Amino acid sequence: MDNRLFINLKPGPTFLDRLTGKTKVRLFFVLILLLIATWDIRLIAPLFVLSIIGLVSIRPNPKKMTVTLVIILIMNLFNLLLMFLVEPDYGRGVVGGSNVIFRFTDFYIVTKETMWYFLVRLMKFMATFIFSLTFIQCITPSEMAAGLYSVKVPYKVCTIVSLAFRYIPDITRDFNNIRISMQARGLELDAKRVGIGTRLKQYVLILAPLVISSFDRVGMIANAMDLRGFGKLKKRTYYAEHEDVKGDRILAPIILLLLALFLVIVVCLIFFPPAFQVWCPWIK
Amino acid sequence: MSEKKSVGSLILGKWNTKTIVGIAIGAALFAVLMNYGGIKIFTNTSLTTAMIVDVIVGALFGPLPAALTAFLGNFLADLIGGWGFWFDWSIGNAVLGFFVGLIPVYARKFDEGVFGVKEIIIYAITVIVGNIVAFGAVTPLLTYLFYSQELTITWGQATAALIGNASVQLVLGIPLLLFLASRNKKSSNLAKED
Repeated sequence: MDNRLFINLKPGPTFLDRLTGKTKVRLFFVLILLLIATWDIRLIAPLFVLSIIGLVSIRPNPKKMTVTLVIILIMNLFNLLLMFLVEPDYGRGVVGGSNVIFRFTDFYIVTKETMWYFLVRLMKFMATFIFSLTFIQCITPSEMAAGLYSVKVPYKVCTIVSLAFRYIPDITRDFNNIRISMQARGLELDAKRVGIGTRLKQYVLILAPLVISSFDRVGMIANAMDLRGFGKLKKRTYYAEHEDVKGDRILAPIILLLLALFLVIVVCLIFFPPAFQVWCPWIK
Repeated sequence: MSEKKSVGSLILGKWNTKTIVGIAIGAALFAVLMNYGGIKIFTNTSLTTAMIVDVIVGALFGPLPAALTAFLGNFLADLIGGWGFWFDWSIGNAVLGFFVGLIPVYARKFDEGVFGVKEIIIYAITVIVGNIVAFGAVTPLLTYLFYSQELTITWGQATAALIGNASVQLVLGIPLLLFLASRNKKSSNLAKED
């Protein structure tokens, strides 16, 4: 888990890496909005394929990437299992049918529709995650700020996002260091050996030094920024933002098209709501 | 230290560089704790210690910074967590952050280390009201609007989140606030001569 996050400070050499922050941020947000809006596998499946192509194209470390993806896949499957345990006939409400395949008890039934829903949901979330992973792999904190600024986010907020993004790996490392040293002193964090109450109390022992060390940084960073004249003017430019390359010019109209598609989907959902949330080939 | 601050300016907080960095570090801490510092209790819901970050940022910088911290923190947690983006929950967390971050508004002398029984009671009320408004009303409403999802699971998650967050913020938050207050006290223990 320690290597789950690896934030770049220098853009890499591939096609996606070389785009401007503006294009990266816009493309990412429009894809995520699409994935949030739709439950239709006819759109999710191509996006899923696209996300994998995107991830492969930035040539990530294959071993790390496989481990990360497997962890997330297991987590998502576990979530689906929990959903199944809470409401086995979930598909009736969202897909609109309940063809039983297998029956454990009267309550725990496996239906075709629930399985279909789970498949769509899994694909949707994996695609979302792979896009996020590709995005954080190919963007640097400064490019992220520049990209957000290009969509008219106030630059102080852009700075907050890029700083937070920049400090996540540091804080994760601190968290792990504190946890390991606390465990070395005999703190038991294993879920099997201690109850929730004790574990929560033990998290406080990790939390206290983490909070103090994190917030101690604030004064230092703020002084460094003040010394460089941060916040004196109303506008700013970004050093990380460069001239459009060929890829930016190709992607600009595609982003507009995707945005239009998103708006069409939202308008359709509002004015002509489908009878059931999830489209399914064998219903109607 | 000027005593007369209007409620409006206390709610907005001071938007200097320190606040901006504070929000950023808070959001990063929130994201990390949401991913690692929690105990799972329900699908996509855990008894997470991230909730304590709102309280700290609120106490140091005010309600609006706390709300922004929670919103961005949740967004970044979604970005690295792999469970999809849930803006309804981010906004719910922002509302909660606003409520628990009201500390400087009622505990005017928090900077000087005053945090007594009265303040603790008000804090407890804001935590409970904030959680009910955020996860009992705002999040389910937005879930319905954004995802038009069946609300059964959301209600379950919301109830779990409500109870979990409120208890984390009460059980861990009050000692933490007392600790922060006592730290402030130490830095201002010079007596004023008449």
